[in-house]
Amino acid sequence: MFSIARGELIQLFRNRLVLVTSLILPVAFSAFFISRHETFAKLGSLGYIAALTLSFITAIGLYTTTVTTLAARRQNLFLKRLRSTAASDSGILVGLLLPITVITTIQVVVILAVLGAVTGLPKNPLLLVVAVFATVAMMLALGLATAGLTNSPEHAQVTTLPVTLAVLAVASWIGITGTEQLSLLKRLLPGGAATELVLNSWNGGASVADSLVLLGPIAAWLILSVTLATRLFRWEPRR
Amino acid sequence: MSTTPVIDVDHLNLTYGDFQAVRDLSFQVGRGELYALLGTNGAGKTSTLETVEGHRPPSSGTVRVFGKDPRERAAVRPRMGIMLQESGFSPDLTVRESIRLIGSLTQRNDNVERLLGITDLTRKATTRVSQLSGGEKRRLDFATAVYGTPDLVFLDEPTTGLDIQSRDALWNAVDRLREDGTTIVLTTHYLEEAQQRADRIGLMHQGTLNREGTVAELTRTLPATIRFGLPPHAPMPPLQATREEDGRFLIETFGLQKDLHTLLGWAQDSAVELAELEAGPTRLDDVFRAIGNA
Repeated sequence: MFSIARGELIQLFRNRLVLVTSLILPVAFSAFFISRHETFAKLGSLGYIAALTLSFITAIGLYTTTVTTLAARRQNLFLKRLRSTAASDSGILVGLLLPITVITTIQVVVILAVLGAVTGLPKNPLLLVVAVFATVAMMLALGLATAGLTNSPEHAQVTTLPVTLAVLAVASWIGITGTEQLSLLKRLLPGGAATELVLNSWNGGASVADSLVLLGPIAAWLILSVTLATRLFRWEPRR
Repeated sequence: MSTTPVIDVDHLNLTYGDFQAVRDLSFQVGRGELYALLGTNGAGKTSTLETVEGHRPPSSGTVRVFGKDPRERAAVRPRMGIMLQESGFSPDLTVRESIRLIGSLTQRNDNVERLLGITDLTRKATTRVSQLSGGEKRRLDFATAVYGTPDLVFLDEPTTGLDIQSRDALWNAVDRLREDGTTIVLTTHYLEEAQQRADRIGLMHQGTLNREGTVAELTRTLPATIRFGLPPHAPMPPLQATREEDGRFLIETFGLQKDLHTLLGWAQDSAVELAELEAGPTRLDDVFRAIGNA
């Protein structure tokens, strides 16, 4: 597993396109959000910036890279090659996705720390940690499911659009309009509950118990995605 | 020594939707054997091989490798090396990194530099896979398949795209593996390789094992051939020709030595020069063609 992860890490840094889309782009946009934090805070709140940053990094950096990586490794038969060894299927997937997951998590932590340093610390950092890990897990699962529908890295540019756009739109919608109205709908949308969890952790104002309820929709998306992935995911290209 | 076969395929059937790729296939491969699985295009070789390798489940029937279901990867793969028909390496990794990565996942130990040496890839060790030629990728594939000298190696079209020196080097490496007791399962379109190397050959056609045996067993079912041309107005030879076209004669015989002796004696006595005389035992190609034409 770790040798696969090491190989992926090497490839991540050798492939300029992946490097830009998964590492540099999310950081650049996050830096922009933080530099314009007063403007974005007026639109919504400081929690909105945190939620938008988390959504952006996990959607562009983690989710899209997950789908593209798995589609590319399947297309060039690398997945089949790995399955020709003693490595287990779960070990292969963990190895392939570990580097981008760790990098994304570090990016999120560093950027939110910078946001905290610039604008003030979140009201409930522990809840924020829960929100970050729950979002990362959900986006990974969504990536696995989408990879099952994606034939090639080129195809990934199309198949990743719905979830990416939905997660970013939902984060903006909830961040700007709040959760008083249409709260159930907002929570059930992809990334909705995660956004609300980040808002609660950063802005405060909601009890921990009420916030933890939000893990329900996130878990539902995670279970749905994993279920879809187990049905849709293929290790070899279609014949 | 254990008499349990390394590979035991029993009444294997493989279907894809309505299409039956393999039907009622049974064969065994013993320890240390080089078994060549040959067949016409679409005969079901790759489907069979992938099932034996554990890449796909049988539709019915059983496949055992080292007495176990080959899909039990953790139990079987540490003893098995697989050279896939198509490359399947990450284009951004170097040759050395690729061998090290795949090798580390076999749970066997080996020296990467040794493998680079036997596959003549030392000079390409730091080259990315994306920059390798087709033949170099096949050699890389071979290097990963034989990493740690496994007990069983699958070679799927191993010499396709290789130049003659690389082929010789690969077969030398296979010979050394066999000296260590490694069992080899080979598929190839180069029939002369199978004829020279295989202990036994299974010939597949339309999803079934049409014939199986040693080269001698397979070829003795078809007659040997004598081909020659005669000058105009020459007397007819004393043997019954199977075919005659444009002054070229083909004689099919199960008594090659006797008939050839008769023919040469007649030519000497009649002062007839046999043009482009060819005589030889039945080749695997002939068996192959006979199956395809049946």
